[in-house]
Amino acid sequence: MAKGDCSILVVEDNPDDQILTMRALRKASSHSPIILQEDGQSALDFLFGTESSKCSPQVDSIGVILLDLKLPKVSGLEVLRRIRSAPQTDWLPVVMMTSTDEPNELREAYRLGANSFVTKQIDYSKFSEQMCLLARYWLTVNQVPMIGSFRSSRKGSAGE
Amino acid sequence: MSERWRWESWPLRTKLLLLTASISTLGILLVCTSLVVVENRTSEEQLESELHVIAGILAEQSAAALLFEDSQQLNTVISSLDQIETIEQVCVYNVAGEVMSAMNGAGYEPCPSLDVEPAVGFVGDYYRLLEPVMLDGDIVGRFYLMSRLEVLREHIWTFIVISFSVGVGIQVLLIWVASRLQRLVSEPIVELSNAADRISHEHDYSIRVPVYGKDELGSLGSTFNEMIGTIQQQNRKILQSKDDLERTVAERTSELSLANRELEAFSFSVSHDLRQPLRAIEGFGQALEEDCRDQLNDIGLDYLGRIRAATVRMGSLIDGMLVLSRVSRQAMEVERVNLSIMLGEIVQELQDTTDAVPSEVTIQPNMHVVGDERMLRIAFQNLLENAWKYTSKNEKRAIDVSACEKSNSITIALKDNGVGFDMKYVDKLFVAFNRLHTPAQFSGTGLGLATVDRVVRRHFGRIYAESTVDTGACFYVEFPRPERGPESGLQHQATRQNWREYG
Repeated sequence: MAKGDCSILVVEDNPDDQILTMRALRKASSHSPIILQEDGQSALDFLFGTESSKCSPQVDSIGVILLDLKLPKVSGLEVLRRIRSAPQTDWLPVVMMTSTDEPNELREAYRLGANSFVTKQIDYSKFSEQMCLLARYWLTVNQVPMIGSFRSSRKGSAGE
Repeated sequence: MSERWRWESWPLRTKLLLLTASISTLGILLVCTSLVVVENRTSEEQLESELHVIAGILAEQSAAALLFEDSQQLNTVISSLDQIETIEQVCVYNVAGEVMSAMNGAGYEPCPSLDVEPAVGFVGDYYRLLEPVMLDGDIVGRFYLMSRLEVLREHIWTFIVISFSVGVGIQVLLIWVASRLQRLVSEPIVELSNAADRISHEHDYSIRVPVYGKDELGSLGSTFNEMIGTIQQQNRKILQSKDDLERTVAERTSELSLANRELEAFSFSVSHDLRQPLRAIEGFGQALEEDCRDQLNDIGLDYLGRIRAATVRMGSLIDGMLVLSRVSRQAMEVERVNLSIMLGEIVQELQDTTDAVPSEVTIQPNMHVVGDERMLRIAFQNLLENAWKYTSKNEKRAIDVSACEKSNSITIALKDNGVGFDMKYVDKLFVAFNRLHTPAQFSGTGLGLATVDRVVRRHFGRIYAESTVDTGACFYVEFPRPERGPESGLQHQATRQNWREYG
């Protein structure tokens, strides 16, 4: 399915977690492009473009954002808030990734419009399974609105 | 009753004045009356003696005339009495009792007959006297005289009027003096009463009463002042200590909330920062095992397996600590919870996810307690997981949950047929990080029952257990009755208590 070509945007600051997440995701979905952003600000720059180019065309190709809650500079919740408040990104599926299951953070994330909330498991096989499930669900099962010429031309038959 | 009430409500000043006035009135009245009586008597006696003297003189003068029955002479004698206006009637009788001579005022009866002895002395408005006329020791006739008393009466009336006028004057003077003097007594009392009134209404303890002299009233005033002084001092101290207490409470509260924030930051840090490296260790361990398996020998792989297992174990310890800390500090949302439904859900979950030992679980329906649903779920999840775990080596698992209701409590009994424990170690059962089994026998963190204990305590209940080795264990969770369950005020106390334990 063409939908499998959608990319996964991973926003993760910890190098260990970056490697482990990428490894697990590659095993789960080998052909999906994985974009990595190392902090909240760079993720926002990637999504909204820098000063010169106001909107990044790459937004349309994103199937899901795996957004770490605890990020330097701009926090995960702030990134989520910015994504939800801009019309060109408010539709993007966002999965909050965190080490904790603090009820307050969970509530706040959902209040700000997170689509999903995942506590990263210490047991790596369980974590890999989580990644596998996420990739499969958000890239193959889930349906996103068609926005922009790129998406509509590329996967005309996606909804049928 | 109303009279009495009126008397009681009269001001002291009026009472004192009334008392003085009534006593002086009584005294003056008595004095005036006795004066009048004495004056009356004296006047009468004086009149009596005067008339007797007159009568004596006339009788002497008329003795010879009587002897000779010379009426002419007798008329001359008694006519001298014409000068005295008050004398109304004069009669001279001979020995036989015949009237020899008479002098009558206009319109008066004739001389009384002596056949019947006429009344003498003060009778009505008259004074009458009947004197024998003696000559050489023989009675030669009688002399009768009747005098009007109007002059005497007028005199007495005048005397009454004057003496009572003087009495009234003295009374007025006395009342004026009394009204001045009573202030000496009433003024300090009134001032004392007013001061007491003001103090009781305005709570102004700086008020003092003036002290007059050194008598009982003076000492009453100074004692009152001392008393109020003491109260003022005590009040100041009370206010001071109240301020101190409030300040201390505020300080403690801010310290507590600081500690609260620190603990929250700590647990966030524990949950996030400590788990991340663990995840890395575990993740790379597995990656190593998968990606570089060829380059490791069996010993290397065994070590790697141990590293990974220890990492996962530490992860579950951290999770357990977090849950324990969360149930200790989390605010409680109290509601009526159907335990039977909750236990059913937990059992269903356990049956779906764990071993294949045939299980027979009985849960008494409609067991209700009042408490925080999430916390209770954590507690009973732990208890049921324990029951499940320690029966996992059985051929058949039997778990029974029932409730025993008493007037002021409800006890939930959770009985299993597992390996049980030695009652010698029952004290260690609910202490964090204390375990009665080795990890090789049964896995666990040693935090589960400590968490249950914390949850039960926050519900003002208690937990205890009974067991014999190899036949099973029974855990009893006792909750107070719903109506005496956790209340907002007690909840605060409980939270603080927990903080103290943790601090």
